[in-house]
Amino acid sequence: MRFADYVTLALRNIMRSKLRSSLTIFAVVIGATSITIMLAAVFSLKGFMTKQFEANGTFQQIMVSPQTDINWGDYSGNQCQDCVKLTDSLAAKLGQLQHVVGVARQTQVGQFQALTYGTQKLRTQEISAYDANGIITTQVLAGRDISASDKTGVLTISSDYADKLGFKHNYQALIGKQVGLMTQGWYSGVGSDPIQASKNQQAFFSSHPGANGQDYQPAPTTLTGKIVGVTSTTDRSYAIRVPLDWARGMEENQMAVVTQADQDAAQAKCRQQHTPQGCNTQPVASAVQVSDELAKQGYNSYIVKVDQSSNAAAVAKTIRNTYKIGAADAQTEIKQQLAIFNILGLVLGGIGGIALVVAAVGVVNTMIMSILERTREIGVMRAVGARRGTVSALYTFEAGLLGFFGGIIGLLVGYGVVLAANPIINKQLSSNSITGSNIITLPIWLIVGVVSLTTIIGILAGLYPARRAAHLDPVEALHYE
Amino acid sequence: MFKEDLKHNMAAVIEFKDITRTYRLGDEVLNALDNVSCTVQSGEFVAITGPSGSGKSTLANIIGGLDKPTSGTVVVDGQDLSHVRDRQLSDYRNRHIGFVFQSFNLQGTQTALENVMLPLLFARMKPGERKARAKECLEAVGLGDRLKHKPSQLSGGQRQRVAIARALAVKPSIILADEPTGNLDSERGAEILKLLKDLNKQGITLVVITHDMSIARQADRVIQIKDGKIA
Repeated sequence: MRFADYVTLALRNIMRSKLRSSLTIFAVVIGATSITIMLAAVFSLKGFMTKQFEANGTFQQIMVSPQTDINWGDYSGNQCQDCVKLTDSLAAKLGQLQHVVGVARQTQVGQFQALTYGTQKLRTQEISAYDANGIITTQVLAGRDISASDKTGVLTISSDYADKLGFKHNYQALIGKQVGLMTQGWYSGVGSDPIQASKNQQAFFSSHPGANGQDYQPAPTTLTGKIVGVTSTTDRSYAIRVPLDWARGMEENQMAVVTQADQDAAQAKCRQQHTPQGCNTQPVASAVQVSDELAKQGYNSYIVKVDQSSNAAAVAKTIRNTYKIGAADAQTEIKQQLAIFNILGLVLGGIGGIALVVAAVGVVNTMIMSILERTREIGVMRAVGARRGTVSALYTFEAGLLGFFGGIIGLLVGYGVVLAANPIINKQLSSNSITGSNIITLPIWLIVGVVSLTTIIGILAGLYPARRAAHLDPVEALHYE
Repeated sequence: MFKEDLKHNMAAVIEFKDITRTYRLGDEVLNALDNVSCTVQSGEFVAITGPSGSGKSTLANIIGGLDKPTSGTVVVDGQDLSHVRDRQLSDYRNRHIGFVFQSFNLQGTQTALENVMLPLLFARMKPGERKARAKECLEAVGLGDRLKHKPSQLSGGQRQRVAIARALAVKPSIILADEPTGNLDSERGAEILKLLKDLNKQGITLVVITHDMSIARQADRVIQIKDGKIA
């Protein structure tokens, strides 16, 4: 029989019992649709995220930390006393490495209790600061990012803070507003008054004899700063960023120092009082000693940027081996994390696969039934010269066609769902300030794969019924009632 | 009109030699045909008669290539059918045999034309030629105006004519008719028999299985089967 005749006959057979064929195809459609939607969603998302990372240069980045076990996903390393220190000179050395185009030094200041605006006092996490050299980028929703010329007194906040402050949908109005950064009591960085603090402490203990150290709570300092920008929460929520110079000041340790002159003055006061029990007048500190803690402790981390993402892993390895510090390239890490999508795809695809197995059972059932109904017809076909192989091929073809139609319709339904889902996702993306639209696509491999899969499942399901049809005894088949 | 077509098939001869066909029904072994030998000459009209269960249908099925003997040899057109595989046997049925059944065995969902085209499908004929040949055959049995009719729209006699047209489609050397008039009234039956006899006169070997003696009497020769043997 010619191929076209197989198509004609199989189609005619399928059309003969429309309801049964439609129901059988429907089962295949469910499986094909779920596979289509699930795989399209999973792999489109993976592709979208990969593209995002590639576009914003993340894959060219290496995170360096004093600890040797840094992961890219960690927001930052911690300072580490006995580790190799991430100093300015080490940053300069890394900047000289081959393929490295720049280094951003990063530190986190953790001495704050609240972000204040008017009567509002919002919880704070660590305040971050890094070189404004374009290596670490943040999406700015209003105003501008911290620039290299900013020294102190300016900051950016993430949009979730802006929302809480009552500027939702109106971030621009927040630009230029003064906010306060309320420190912890023992804060001794820039803006604190160590001499006054020391006087306050002395006054407390002289008025509370017998009090111990834990009873004294020094007053917090509030640093003021002007908001210059509102940033997206995509990278980090509840984020406050200040210029690196300001952060350096915040981390300083300013101590009141008792000078020789102060001691002399105290003794002179003692002598004037002629106290028989002895002089208990404490010297009052008048000098301030400043210690640059950031220089002493080193930075929390660096972000090293390389020329091409393909060089990132090798440079990270060089940094690890040469300087005995932690270095993790984003690419290796993120690709590992994105591999979860492959597993997700397998699992979700497997669920669709189960639906297809059920559909295959339906195809087997339908074919056995219709072959039973057509027993006499098969007998006639055999009598007028159809070979066993021809009969077998005809019914296998018919079953394959059921699978094929199921796959095509399933794809169309899946495509419809994608068309419906994309606008919803677009809305979500734009409300989260992520650029990207219609991110779910149906790749060619998925289209071809789904139709091939359902067709092959149909063919496999048809093999047994077709074999039964082919092996009917023509004499018995001709007299079958 | 078929005379010229069939000239190359004129040498068709059926030769049975020591044919035995046994069936197993549980522990019982049934001899449907028991050591039968006979010959049918090319162009002959042979009637095979016998009571029900005598083995006449088994004999017809073996001639038609629908069944194979348990032992013995069948040679048709010089081709030994007793040891061929399904593929050759199917091709043999397709090219040499035209079947006419008592209950017509037409495909109910297809038109007369499509029914007649069915054997040509398996002969891998081109669609255009197929249609032309089927039309020709339907015209030959007097149904040139019923091409698009489905079996349900045709009378019993017309249905059997479609079946005969289908049997003729591949220009067979032998027409094998199993009780061809059994489902028809005597008038229609006579018409069908006349049609078959006309075809026989044009050179096609005609083997009719029947228990109707009025039909058997019109045959050139009667082979009577009883209990699996030629009586």
